[in-house]
Amino acid sequence: MSTDKSSTTPSSKGTSFSLDTWALIVAMLLALAVRFDILKNVPW
Amino acid sequence: MASSISLPRAESTNPLLNALRIVPGILLLAGIGYAGKILEHSVNAYAKSHHWTFPNIEYVLWAILIGLIISNILAIPKIFQPGIATYEFWLKLGIVLLGTRFVLADVLKLGGISLRLVVIEITLSLALMTLLGRLFKLKPKLTSLLAIGSAVCGVSAIIAAKGAIDADDEDSSFAIAAILALGALSLFTFPAIAHGLHMTDVSYGLWAGLGVDNTAEATAAGALYSDAAGKVAVLAKTARNAMIGFVVLGYALYWSGRGQAEAITNKAAFLWKKFPKFVLGFLLMSLLVGFHAFSKGQVASLGNLSKWAFLLTFAGVGLRTNLRDTSKQGLRPFIVGALGEVLIACLTLGLVVGANRIWGL
Repeated sequence: MSTDKSSTTPSSKGTSFSLDTWALIVAMLLALAVRFDILKNVPW
Repeated sequence: MASSISLPRAESTNPLLNALRIVPGILLLAGIGYAGKILEHSVNAYAKSHHWTFPNIEYVLWAILIGLIISNILAIPKIFQPGIATYEFWLKLGIVLLGTRFVLADVLKLGGISLRLVVIEITLSLALMTLLGRLFKLKPKLTSLLAIGSAVCGVSAIIAAKGAIDADDEDSSFAIAAILALGALSLFTFPAIAHGLHMTDVSYGLWAGLGVDNTAEATAAGALYSDAAGKVAVLAKTARNAMIGFVVLGYALYWSGRGQAEAITNKAAFLWKKFPKFVLGFLLMSLLVGFHAFSKGQVASLGNLSKWAFLLTFAGVGLRTNLRDTSKQGLRPFIVGALGEVLIACLTLGLVVGANRIWGL
């Protein structure tokens, strides 16, 4: 969950992303990688 | 703890150095999680080959137990701490990707039931914890923090509320310690009770999502019962998390009305700031699968990526639970928390049983 302290992560240029936003960005990148077969047949 | 999450926190001006700081801890999380997975297979195969009747202990429990042993018996070197603190990132990543394993109709049906139960659960939990806090003469703001932590979503809710109601650091630490200790206990008690009651996966998943406070513990408690129960627990917990802004806003308005917290000028902006954005990602993923954006194999791959993310989360749950630190906290907040949690567990169990009769879960 987004929180006051934990969620803001300043970058070197001063902009900030919350932990939730990072999770969203990485999830979307992974989804794109799977959709375009860059990541295939991920095992478990 | 959630307050020390950093991904990637800028401790130095060099982004590469910052990224490198989290690598050892992430490797430790992955190592523990994978060891749990290997142990699950090895122990089951050994028991089977020797014709033993042995309960199937899932990787979830092994990963948590290994983490608990390491954090409570060995001292974890500082080099691992930044990476261990990323467990909440893996949790959220896992939840967003888990959206691909839900058909949108299920999300709407189960999510709708969850939301109705969540509203009842939050209302009764807040009233109950406030009453207990007054009975045990706890400080009013500590009572507020314990109530928010128990009713909504554990540590993150407490941290979100701390700034909004201008609570002391000490009160926040008390509340967080109590919630974490009780969350650890629920990992073992919830599945045991559910097995005793022969609960279905959906009923148990709903109960874990409604009754266990912290999202990581609720996810783990669900997965400890079954894969299907784990999915439902995440859905119910996500519905509960979505309410965080409303509850924190209510408390912020209450305390600012008494002149003991800053006034809220823009309520809509406050709600958006507190809203857990990963809930939107979870719904988006479910929507994309509903529109056939992914093939069957790709959905399976995304589901497995979600499991890998949760694997790191479960290792982190064990590693960040320090029983010695917990025992140093005050007894009264812990008693209030424990009493409240037991009553909330009974209450949510009753809600789920009632929902089962009405909707046939």
